[in-house]
Amino acid sequence: MSSQAIFVLFNGLASGMAFFLVAAGLTWVFGILKILNLAHGAFFMLGAYIAFTVGGGWPASIWSFLGVALIAAAAIGVLGYLTDQLVLKRLRDVDYHYALIATFGLMLFCEGAAKFIWGTDYQAVMPPPEVDRAVVVGGSYISVYTLFVIGIGVSVFAALEIIMHRTWAGKIMRAVSNDPWMAGTLGINVPMVLMVSVIASFALAGFAGGILVPNQALSPHVGASFVLYAFMAVVIGGLGSIRGTFLACILLGLVESANATFLSQYGGIAIYVVLAIFLVWKPTGLFPAQGAT
Amino acid sequence: MDQHSSTLMQGRPAFSSPMLKAAVLALLFILLLSAPAMLNAGLLFWVGMTMIQAVFALSWNLLFGFTGLASFGHAGFYAIGAYFTGAALRYDFPLPFLGILALAGIFGALVALAIGVVALKRLTGIFLAVLTVALTEAMAKIIGFSPALGEQDGLGNIPRPIVGFGVFNLDLTHSNDYYRFLLVAVALMVAALWWVVHSRIGRSFRAVREDAERARFIGINVTRVRVLSFMISGGTAALAGALSAPWTRIVTLDQVNWLASTQPILNSLLGGFTSFWGPVVGAAVYTAINYWTRTFAGLSEMLVGGILVLVILIAPTGIVGLLGKLTRRIRKNGDRT
Repeated sequence: MSSQAIFVLFNGLASGMAFFLVAAGLTWVFGILKILNLAHGAFFMLGAYIAFTVGGGWPASIWSFLGVALIAAAAIGVLGYLTDQLVLKRLRDVDYHYALIATFGLMLFCEGAAKFIWGTDYQAVMPPPEVDRAVVVGGSYISVYTLFVIGIGVSVFAALEIIMHRTWAGKIMRAVSNDPWMAGTLGINVPMVLMVSVIASFALAGFAGGILVPNQALSPHVGASFVLYAFMAVVIGGLGSIRGTFLACILLGLVESANATFLSQYGGIAIYVVLAIFLVWKPTGLFPAQGAT
Repeated sequence: MDQHSSTLMQGRPAFSSPMLKAAVLALLFILLLSAPAMLNAGLLFWVGMTMIQAVFALSWNLLFGFTGLASFGHAGFYAIGAYFTGAALRYDFPLPFLGILALAGIFGALVALAIGVVALKRLTGIFLAVLTVALTEAMAKIIGFSPALGEQDGLGNIPRPIVGFGVFNLDLTHSNDYYRFLLVAVALMVAALWWVVHSRIGRSFRAVREDAERARFIGINVTRVRVLSFMISGGTAALAGALSAPWTRIVTLDQVNWLASTQPILNSLLGGFTSFWGPVVGAAVYTAINYWTRTFAGLSEMLVGGILVLVILIAPTGIVGLLGKLTRRIRKNGDRT
């Protein structure tokens, strides 16, 4: 493989995993609550800001960086609990249009709050020193932070796969996702499962914010661009399917990366072409989930 | 809801609701017409933008409130109109201004037709939402790469037109004159939309929204009705954009992103999507919130977002629905005493 192809491959995988870190929580909540949470990107953004506030712009080591990301995850998880109690709980049985628009209002609220608290100036966070360098792979310089993001993305996917398909908790989740009423009659505490899923999804968004913040210029709008790709991945993958989302994220990441390298004068367009083709070709996604409308 | 109000209307004097509405509208029109004399240029600009946003919101709500389809990329249509008109005026296309406006509307409707034919048969709900968002983003990217359309900087220095009516010319270069033209154009478009909603076509839209299956049984071609609604909505949104270009005199990419697409959604929901006038009320309220909070970064988003969540949770029919409930309650009390 030429060095350019390797470059495209690694960058694509890294973007794909970045999309996946955001999309995982999104598709999880959709699978269980049947709510497409438009505010997911805003909570990702809040996680990034919390990581920036707690850890500062120059993380001392990779361990403190990961610790800060976990603090962000915990903080956003708490926000998730509050959001669930105040808003999402009341949206369980309403038309999906209302849920979409309510979560959109939530997104606006969070962006406004971020502007209010942190201002509109751009902030920057450096990658931790251990990964802030490049290695040569097949004649191409690859940043170690890129490899780090790929590693985190794959680990999160593996963890979710094991939880969902190899544990008792995952079985309960899938039962509730398939048929909440039946699950309830079997003695599963459905409201509890829904709440835990929301908290976990939000915590994932916060964690993603902490991990991905070195990649971007941090502003109150940082969530908007990420969540758009995450939506596309969730739709291509089949709403609610974590495996499908994972594959779709890799696909979108690679397309985006190839587009940026080989057709840089039209950067960022190919991904929409791919989405349009997929939507027309497979309107319910790669792995259609039950209950997706 | 309509049924409810009509039963209440029985036995009440004939001068009440429709006459009152007409009187309010006439008063509003006269007030808006005299706005240039009463307001400074800055405020007048806000008023003009509110009128454009009101039409934009009405176009979105025709789709959502009356046909039951949600487009989350409506800014794309608006931008088609705005960029086309902006480019036509800036580069001096040999076309009369009214012709440019008409073409902008037709372009919007044609794009809607293309999307509708490909997508509306297969996609509804969340998939349609994501597709419309994605198409709008793609359009923004393409505009961002087009030097003729100003790339990232936007298309600036758009001149205001002189409209030729054959016998006489209407010079709209002064902002007060363009404002009056805008007001008349907006009023005509609102009237046209009102007619659409209350005509036979509007009834078929509502039939499809209520129950697509039943509508099919009674012989309504559901896909065709949806595409038609999408076309009228897209064309109107493009016209709103077309009218905005000479008013703002600059068209930027901020008008094409998906946050811009949510503006008509916000206005419709805020005002109440079950009523025809809801989006207009919403646009006015939204502008007022924005105007009063413009010096505090983030406050307007927090307010609007918070209100939106509250509206959904407490009063899903919006301000107009809330007012309706209130007046009904007052009337009921009045009847008892």
